[in-house]
Amino acid sequence: MAKRDDPTRRARRLLLEALRAPEQLPALPPADWELLLRVARRARVLGRLESALDRANLLGKLPPRAAAHLRAARNVIEHRKTLISWEVNRLLWALKGIEVPLILLKGTGYLLAMLPPARGRIFADVDLLVPEERIGEIEERLVERGWFKTEIDPYDDRYYRVWMHEIPPLRHRERGTEIDIHHRLLPKTSHLKSDPAPLFAAARPLADPRLRVLAPADMVLHALVHLFLEGDPDEGLRLRDLVDVHDLLCHHGQEPGFWAGLAPRAHELGFQRPLFYGLRHAQRLFGTPIPADVLRGLADAAPAWPIGALMDRLIPLALLPGHPDHPSRLATLARWLIYVRAHWLRMPPGLLAKHLSHKAWLRFRGFRKRVDLAQLDLKQQ
Amino acid sequence: MNHPHPTGSPVAGAERLATTSLGCALEWQAWDDLYIVYQPSSAETHVFNETTALILKSLEQGSRSTAGVKDWTESALGVAPGGLAADDFSFATQRLEELGLVEYLDDASATR
Amino acid sequence: MIVGDLSRRELGERLAGEGLALQFGPFNLRIRSNLDSFATHAHQLYEPYPLPDATEIVDFHVQISAPSGLRRWVRRQACFGVDGQFPFAPYTVEHAFPALEWGINWCVGTRAHYLLMLHSAGVERDGRAILFPASPGDGKSTLCTALVHSGWRLLSDEFGLVRPEDGMLLPLPRLIPLKNESIEVIRKFRPQAVIGPSFLKTRKGTVAHVRPPVDSIRRAQEAARPRWFVFPRWVADAPLSFEPMPKSQAFLMVATNAFNYEVLDETAFRLVTEMIRSCDSYSLIYSDLDEAVGALDELSRASDG
Repeated sequence: MAKRDDPTRRARRLLLEALRAPEQLPALPPADWELLLRVARRARVLGRLESALDRANLLGKLPPRAAAHLRAARNVIEHRKTLISWEVNRLLWALKGIEVPLILLKGTGYLLAMLPPARGRIFADVDLLVPEERIGEIEERLVERGWFKTEIDPYDDRYYRVWMHEIPPLRHRERGTEIDIHHRLLPKTSHLKSDPAPLFAAARPLADPRLRVLAPADMVLHALVHLFLEGDPDEGLRLRDLVDVHDLLCHHGQEPGFWAGLAPRAHELGFQRPLFYGLRHAQRLFGTPIPADVLRGLADAAPAWPIGALMDRLIPLALLPGHPDHPSRLATLARWLIYVRAHWLRMPPGLLAKHLSHKAWLRFRGFRKRVDLAQLDLKQQ
Repeated sequence: MNHPHPTGSPVAGAERLATTSLGCALEWQAWDDLYIVYQPSSAETHVFNETTALILKSLEQGSRSTAGVKDWTESALGVAPGGLAADDFSFATQRLEELGLVEYLDDASATR
Repeated sequence: MIVGDLSRRELGERLAGEGLALQFGPFNLRIRSNLDSFATHAHQLYEPYPLPDATEIVDFHVQISAPSGLRRWVRRQACFGVDGQFPFAPYTVEHAFPALEWGINWCVGTRAHYLLMLHSAGVERDGRAILFPASPGDGKSTLCTALVHSGWRLLSDEFGLVRPEDGMLLPLPRLIPLKNESIEVIRKFRPQAVIGPSFLKTRKGTVAHVRPPVDSIRRAQEAARPRWFVFPRWVADAPLSFEPMPKSQAFLMVATNAFNYEVLDETAFRLVTEMIRSCDSYSLIYSDLDEAVGALDELSRASDG
């Protein structure tokens, strides 16, 4: 049992058990709560634990300090939800008269379509998918109505417009919420196909017919593409995103035809590899109920043996936070490898080398220029 | 530019203004000559002067033409007809529209 | 058990090992540090603070430590860490103590969103509290220090922590960082005040920490009812001026000076509205501490009957 005492394993076990069986949490000893709160904060799932416990009516059975941290997470999340919904409301106002479908992506879509992943999830920006040829018109109207293009350095601006799948974010002059306008799910440079036309064709309207969300299979595939191809070298793969996928699978899995259509759709869009990894690891980490024939149907999407074995080791390392007091070098390496791999899939090698070196330079500069927060008033944080 | 709202032009006045459902769901606190107003839909706290507050109040019973709103507001403020500067009035209504509290009924949907 | 029950050696061992657990008002902290100078300051200034029960959950895990690796040999530095993350640029090692104190405030201000956090000093007497919401540099720390050495209890020098359930103020009687001239002003005002070493050339000039009176620290779990808002401003040679302030103005100054008014949405609007409604608000301009303290004593006596 020596391995059970290893701090990294203990932290991961606590987190996964909490996500899988939140109803067991009232019995958790205080020392375990303390570690769980730290790890869950790092993985950004404090709000998710709160919402699970709230629905089970168990918040009153927790140690008061744990309940206070969860309450704080909930307050921040509720506030962000209001801001995101409001930004969408104002977008619709500003775009009145422009007949263009707005597909709400990621958190914005989950929230407005009232899907389970929206519960207890922190929302950063409004993400939209619109037809590429309409972006100019939309951008122009928003600028007329009080939004402005956020300032980014010329390299990033060019990087966005020439290579990426989105334009630099817009922000209203009086509000803090950023709007990311995408015209495809992946950069034009990606090795994976990313023609957005089939996504528009399958999208489903919400109560306001100008708003749409991706069709269920497309929504799952997008969440996975986002998870596996938009990593962060320090953070690794975002566990939060795999939790979204788990929730979406449990929810859409009830819909007739969902499972039968998932793998064929992935093949059609060229996303079979992310789907393979996503289903495999959602099942391993959260016990997501996935029909066996769906997994068998994806056998051809599995990587060849040495890569497959390596990814099986790397992905959980990059997904799960370690123990905050005992950093793991192996996990750091895994996060970096996964990040480089994600960029490899998104860019041709020459451009990748250029991009990574530019980012490294920025990080170096960023370190020295790191904002000296002590000079700012605390309340501005 | 095809803003539906008048931008200081006294020619406008026929468009109909109405409060949105959000404009009816505000929390008001009157202190001194100001109104501190909380808008739950946007999580914003606004500070309204009396003119702005009265414009919203004028629409409580239903929609009115902008000219009608201006007349009502002037009489509630106790100033002579036309005593409220057109610029101030249109600034306030434009502001309320931006905040999602009032909307133009015919014009906005009809012109496009 | 309090910090003072530990010897200097025991304290240093805890800091360098599993960490020193401390209770600051509503929050339990665990502090780790491998810096000897830090342990010395902590031993002196944290002496009356209680240690939480071993079974209690610790809210914030912070550290102030020399960086590992090569950089530590280039220049002697101290890094503030929370949960193994290092969000800020390193400090020079001489400023480790003020850096940690500031870092703890940062943790509270960015994480304790289950409370409404006003940016305000607060003191209490007879169960009624004065809040001093103010911008930095307006002398709220100096005035607050003078009051807590004149019969008032310290709630906090920086945070007006409001419990949403009942609108009560939760004390957070931490060390009060005095800046520049204020240090001498307080030494003259109350020579018996416990003031730590002066840290020169920090990002805020010279800083020295006043330890709150032991009674304030002992009563850190006793909530207080807000009764007055006083907006202080120190102006050299100005005669004392103590004027009622319009409620609309007081509301705006409190709301815009809060750490998380925006985050708490409607709860914050209702709490601040209720506080402004039920409290009297004043603006205070002063140059002489004795006069200012006298005016506030008078305020509390006048409303006794």
